[in-house]
Amino acid sequence: MSERINLGELEELILLMVALIGGDAYGVSITGELEEQAGRVITISAAHAALHRLEEKGFVTSKMGGASPDRGGRRKRLFQITAYGRQTLDELRQARNTIWVQISNI
Amino acid sequence: MATYPQPPKWAETLIDRFAPEHLAEEIKGDLYEMFLSDVKCFNDSSARRRHSWRVIGFLAKSFFWKRPTYQNHNMTGSYFRMAKRSLLANKGTTTINVLGLVIGIASALAIISIIRFELSFDTFHTNHKNIYRMVRVSGADLSEFRTGIPYAVPPALKGISSIGKMTKLEYLRGANVDVLSTDGRFERQFVEEDGVVTVEPEFFDVIDFADRPIKWISGDPETSLREPGSLVVTRTVAKKYFGDESPLGRTLRFQKAFDFKITGVVEDFPPNTDFPFRLLMSYSSMPLLFKDRMSDWVSANDGHSVYVVLHDGVDAKDVEAQIAKIHAANVGKDLSEYRHYFLQPLREVHFDPNFGTFSRRTITHETIFALQLIVLCLLAVGCINYVNLSTAHSTLRSKEIGMRKIMGSSQKNVMAQFLAETLIIVLIAAFAALGLVAVFMPSLVSMLGLQVRVNFFDPFLWITLVSIITIVTLCAGLYPALLISRFNPLSAIKNQFSTGRIAGVSLRKTLVVIQFTATQVLAVATFIVVAQMEFFRNVDMGFDRNARVVTIRLLNNEQSSLSAFESELRRLPFVENVAKSFTLPSGVERNRNSRNIGKPDANDVQDYQNYEYSAVDENFLDLYGIRLIAGRNLTSADSSKNILVNETLMKNLGYKNAQEIVGAELKMGGGDGVVHVVGVINDYYGNSLKERVDNIALDANAGRYRQVSVRLGLAADQNMTDVLTKLEQTWKSIYPEHAFQFRFLDDNIAMFYEQELKYSRLFQVFSTIFVLIGCLGLYGLITFIANRKGKEVAVRKTLGASARNIIIMFSREYIALIAVSFALAVPIAWYGVNEWLMNFENHIDVQWWLFAAPGVIVLVIALAVVCMKSFSAALANPVDKLRNE
Repeated sequence: MSERINLGELEELILLMVALIGGDAYGVSITGELEEQAGRVITISAAHAALHRLEEKGFVTSKMGGASPDRGGRRKRLFQITAYGRQTLDELRQARNTIWVQISNI
Repeated sequence: MATYPQPPKWAETLIDRFAPEHLAEEIKGDLYEMFLSDVKCFNDSSARRRHSWRVIGFLAKSFFWKRPTYQNHNMTGSYFRMAKRSLLANKGTTTINVLGLVIGIASALAIISIIRFELSFDTFHTNHKNIYRMVRVSGADLSEFRTGIPYAVPPALKGISSIGKMTKLEYLRGANVDVLSTDGRFERQFVEEDGVVTVEPEFFDVIDFADRPIKWISGDPETSLREPGSLVVTRTVAKKYFGDESPLGRTLRFQKAFDFKITGVVEDFPPNTDFPFRLLMSYSSMPLLFKDRMSDWVSANDGHSVYVVLHDGVDAKDVEAQIAKIHAANVGKDLSEYRHYFLQPLREVHFDPNFGTFSRRTITHETIFALQLIVLCLLAVGCINYVNLSTAHSTLRSKEIGMRKIMGSSQKNVMAQFLAETLIIVLIAAFAALGLVAVFMPSLVSMLGLQVRVNFFDPFLWITLVSIITIVTLCAGLYPALLISRFNPLSAIKNQFSTGRIAGVSLRKTLVVIQFTATQVLAVATFIVVAQMEFFRNVDMGFDRNARVVTIRLLNNEQSSLSAFESELRRLPFVENVAKSFTLPSGVERNRNSRNIGKPDANDVQDYQNYEYSAVDENFLDLYGIRLIAGRNLTSADSSKNILVNETLMKNLGYKNAQEIVGAELKMGGGDGVVHVVGVINDYYGNSLKERVDNIALDANAGRYRQVSVRLGLAADQNMTDVLTKLEQTWKSIYPEHAFQFRFLDDNIAMFYEQELKYSRLFQVFSTIFVLIGCLGLYGLITFIANRKGKEVAVRKTLGASARNIIIMFSREYIALIAVSFALAVPIAWYGVNEWLMNFENHIDVQWWLFAAPGVIVLVIALAVVCMKSFSAALANPVDKLRNE
């Protein structure tokens, strides 16, 4: 790991959710998935804040789309993980794996 | 439609109003989606509640408030560069703005320092919130306020368990002090006007100066003040008496009678304490000084005060009740019903003029409030000038703003630039003000008789300054910045603009009116205060107050030397008359002694009149020009059983006219026998004119003479210094070892009004400042308008208008504004002035011209400013204006 990865714990979880959900990742679906997968309950505003930070940092991109009547006809912002985001997740996982291997060796 | 549940309206509105435009849609969408699923899971109302919390959650997130910036350059440097350029380009306006603010900020700083000084009095003792002073309030209507506690009272309070600590002290104020040499001979003599006190060692436990410790240079509070006859002096006193010699072990003789040995030296007491002690005797010496009075439950010297520390959480009311019980058990029913002891918190002592302080200084909370109000007004008036001038000027700069906006400036950029300009001006003004304060504070402080020093290393000063800078910058800068930055670039370039209007009146006019209202209120107040002071100075006090009288204080009244002194005085060519008396007819340096007197059939306390009694000789009435209304004057043959009464006492005793009381017998309170009234004198003011005339009676008891009054008849070329030297020589020839202490009667009377005199000076200074700032602003406005209307004036002139028409055109508006502000100022001033005058028993009537005159003066000054500027505009050659387009 050459340089420090600027990714918080919540941000990492949300980034994972974006990757997991794939096509329909937006505020509500991400909070729902997060609760289901990791048991973490977060407010919708916290999710939005984290997504904005991820986008600023370049881990995700977004576009508007998918209006539906159960949103009062409003569109949602759909997030998609970037190549840089995927690479970062990979790096993090590898770094941790390396460490875990050593711990279980003891 | 109705089947769809709706989230709360206000929440949606909030998002619409504040969310960044590009985010509003998705946020609202997500919220709505969650709301619908909540509706399915819970009921409507809890879904609404959850929705509201989510919205509030968004409000708390910083991304919600961020706006996309199209420009990420740091413009701070550029703002200041631009501000500097535009300030330099308009030197006149800049100067006026700076000047107005300098005066405002400087005065504000000065007053804040003074207020802080006054509020700091005796706040540095441990537990200062639990310290109380015992005070005594008497009379059927509780109208007599005293601090003196009879000597027997404090020892009896030892049993009250709520009292943690107690200390008693007697403030003797002044004394004649002789320095004795080591072998006991008279060496030097000093007269101390104040600072002499007897204290217990416990004094330093109660009033402990914890946060402003007083260093003991030698000795310590425990031992140095234990023994009778021991004395502790402050460093300054030690230096004055002994120079560099050690004062320890030396003896000082007080009033030619009491010897005290110096057992300790302390550092000087701080200036902001109401315990201004310099010579501290041990309280155990009190029996020496006052002998048998120590067991007295009734009479008290005013200087004998008691301070207690109550335990935390104790209600002072309970303690007062216990004291009342002890008091009632030890004195007669009459007295215990007539006199009440209360506990006054130490933190109120400096602010309650009823009881006074040892430092003789008090300041009421109302005065402090008035001062704070003045600070606010001063800063406000400075800000108003700035707002007026910069909004007026913005019209000139509209092209610049339009251009900036077209080139891509956002509203925020323009605001930042204008605020930067304001900040620069305020900064310049603030530092100039600091310099001004440093230069003028000493003279302001000495004018007010304060001991405030401006300490430039005091963090408080800097905090104040920074907050003033911030507040003024925001108040003065925000409105113009908002207004200017809101210009629509197109209309700005086309020079179509409008300034703000409040309820249809232009903001600028409103501000001018506010400014001049404040100015005129102050101007009227100044007139009234000065008129009242003149009244005090000139009114008939019932005796000849303009007589040149020197009064000399006696240290003993041994008969032979006193009459020798009198005849020596009479031999001096410039002495017109000499009189001996217990005290003076009036003035600050006046002793008071009061007793009760009643008709022969008096029984109850209510039947007696409290009166002030003084002893005089046969020349006294003549010397002071006090008239005898009926009966005869006292003679040296009269005993103390024959008295003169004044008219007030006569009326209060229930006698209709003077003939009736002459020859009457009166009964003294407390079974002190019967006196004969031989005459009635006219009322004179023994107190200041702030109060009523007291009951006064005079007898001829030669044993009580303490003062010699000398009336001088001076030739025109007579030098006062010579006269005083001659008087002193005469004194020394009779009393070689006594200090010659004299005062002029008129100075003595003038001292009654010291406080009012200070106010009147303060008012004069501030009303001048207000007028000054107001006129500066007016000058700026007129200059600007004259420039702007240059072309209009030129056209009018070419079409035949005279200079007079032009001037009227300019000044009409301002006369109207000032008239409006006058109309507003009159009722405000009327109310304030009446409140103030009600403090005095004798005061001037508020007359119409006292309002009209200041109004006219302010109007004339303002008009002069307006005319001066419009005159030059009116005289300008129209060609010059019309040519350059």
